[in-house]
Amino acid sequence: MGTILVIAEIQNGKIREASLELVSFARRLAGAGYGDVKSLVIGSGVQGIAEELAKQGGGEVLLADGPAFANYSVGAFGQAIRAAVAAARPSLLLLSNTPIGWDVAPRIAAGLDGAFVSDCFNLESEGGKLVCHRRVFNGKLDARVVPTAEPVIATVQPGATAAFNGTAEGKVTKLEVSLGELKSKFVATRIAEKKGVDLSKAEIIVSGGRGVGAPEKFPEVIQPLADALGGAMGASRPVVDAGWLPHEYQVGSSGQVVTPKLYIAAGISGAIQHLVGMKNSNYIIAINKDADAPIFEVANLGVVGDLFEIVPALTKAVKEAKGQA
Amino acid sequence: MKIMVCLKQVPHQDARLDVRSDGTWIQEENIKFEINSYDTYALEEALRMKDAAGSGEVLVVSIGPDRVTQSLRTALGMGADRAVHVKDPEADAADALGAAKLLAAVAKAESPDVIFTGLMADDGNAAAVGPMLAELLGIPSTTSVMKVEKTNGSLTAERELEGGALEVVELQRPCLLAVQTGINQVRYASLKGIMAAKKKPIETRTVADLGLAGKVGTAANKVKIEKIAPPPKGKGAEMVTGATGDVVGRLVSKIKELGLL
Repeated sequence: MGTILVIAEIQNGKIREASLELVSFARRLAGAGYGDVKSLVIGSGVQGIAEELAKQGGGEVLLADGPAFANYSVGAFGQAIRAAVAAARPSLLLLSNTPIGWDVAPRIAAGLDGAFVSDCFNLESEGGKLVCHRRVFNGKLDARVVPTAEPVIATVQPGATAAFNGTAEGKVTKLEVSLGELKSKFVATRIAEKKGVDLSKAEIIVSGGRGVGAPEKFPEVIQPLADALGGAMGASRPVVDAGWLPHEYQVGSSGQVVTPKLYIAAGISGAIQHLVGMKNSNYIIAINKDADAPIFEVANLGVVGDLFEIVPALTKAVKEAKGQA
Repeated sequence: MKIMVCLKQVPHQDARLDVRSDGTWIQEENIKFEINSYDTYALEEALRMKDAAGSGEVLVVSIGPDRVTQSLRTALGMGADRAVHVKDPEADAADALGAAKLLAAVAKAESPDVIFTGLMADDGNAAAVGPMLAELLGIPSTTSVMKVEKTNGSLTAERELEGGALEVVELQRPCLLAVQTGINQVRYASLKGIMAAKKKPIETRTVADLGLAGKVGTAANKVKIEKIAPPPKGKGAEMVTGATGDVVGRLVSKIKELGLL
């Protein structure tokens, strides 16, 4: 029994969708007897946003408002969270597993000597006992994790549940935050320049992953199929990390999010960060040598086999069908 | 300039993952291990920083059983100068916060100017130890780092946000950087490097050596993995089997059906 403190984020001048998903989890746990719900809003000139959250199920909304919070920095936001913890004495803190959440949450957990569980896709109360579900081994296995100490600091995968869309009575309480000496500061944000390949407009994408094995295999094996189909070539993160293809080919949460009519994944096992970028494609064909690869969970049609046999044969067959061979 | 790099040894990316009999972790016997992919980029970035400075020391630190020596040798072969191996069954059993406490004890004795870690490990995917370590040391940190530049007394880092955006952050030294994969091109250990590594020291520490007896390990852990299992199978893909010719025929007719051929 205790307080659940939701650390909300602001995006484009309003409460981020992922934060309202945290409200859903918090209210569900509160309903199961875990405690009451409070929230924290951090920003500059954001009283109105905090008032909105108070009506959107955030409970008592603590507000850290000031110019120091105009942009995220781990020092200033950390101090705001520490002040909120001192005021609300939560037994559970919820953050989203976002660039803010994964940056600050482990620090808060270490500072409180608490129990830290990251990137949960589900949180449930079993008779008042908190149970966290998360993926390990890059999505290949699920883990059931139980905190054995309090407070618990948990980060939650965006999209893990529906955002809370009801209304509720709440209020806003101003929070005094002592910033102390800040040892890091925000300088700027910038958008990485996009060159050449715009996969978002392609109707057909043929992507290769680590299973393609070598940089020269992309022009030899993957690109010909994309060309035969009149589509574009994409890649998964390990390919770009290895320097086999430039970043603009990357499909995934840190690359391009695509929704083509047909997505063919060759030699891609299907790490979560890739799936996020392509799972809403209209039709997905996956070719992989490992029958247990997570890519087959999101694919419509799957082939377990050697991509170096299947892809060239498919290229040839497509060309024949188009009368090009 | 002294740079500390935290390395974790994890199951090889292509290793077969079977759940062990008690259901709480994977079967670790007879599988290959390697340095966590994120940590190889962290080590490379540290080696580059030392090269750019023209002098200094790169210290690699790892927690784990005997097999970890192999990964530390690889790191020394790539150019690290010294290694510390925290070798103790209680250290192996520690959760992320326990690991951070052990690394903090090593760091306090070594006083590095910069600490590099990977953003996360390929096994637990927790992304916890780096920022926790920084908090315990009272130094600034940043995560998902894609670029580092050294300036007088501080560092400027670019961190990856969502959808191709980057954030520029300035940190006072000493500081900790948790790096994202792809920040650099990781070197291989040269034959000369491997030979030289044989003469480089690997010091070992126990939990007690680090003053944390009883404070880190099974009894001190704050989270417990009760069970791991393959994710429940959803509807999944319709699997096509048979000879290559049949499989390709099926794929072509599907693409035609979609009106794309």
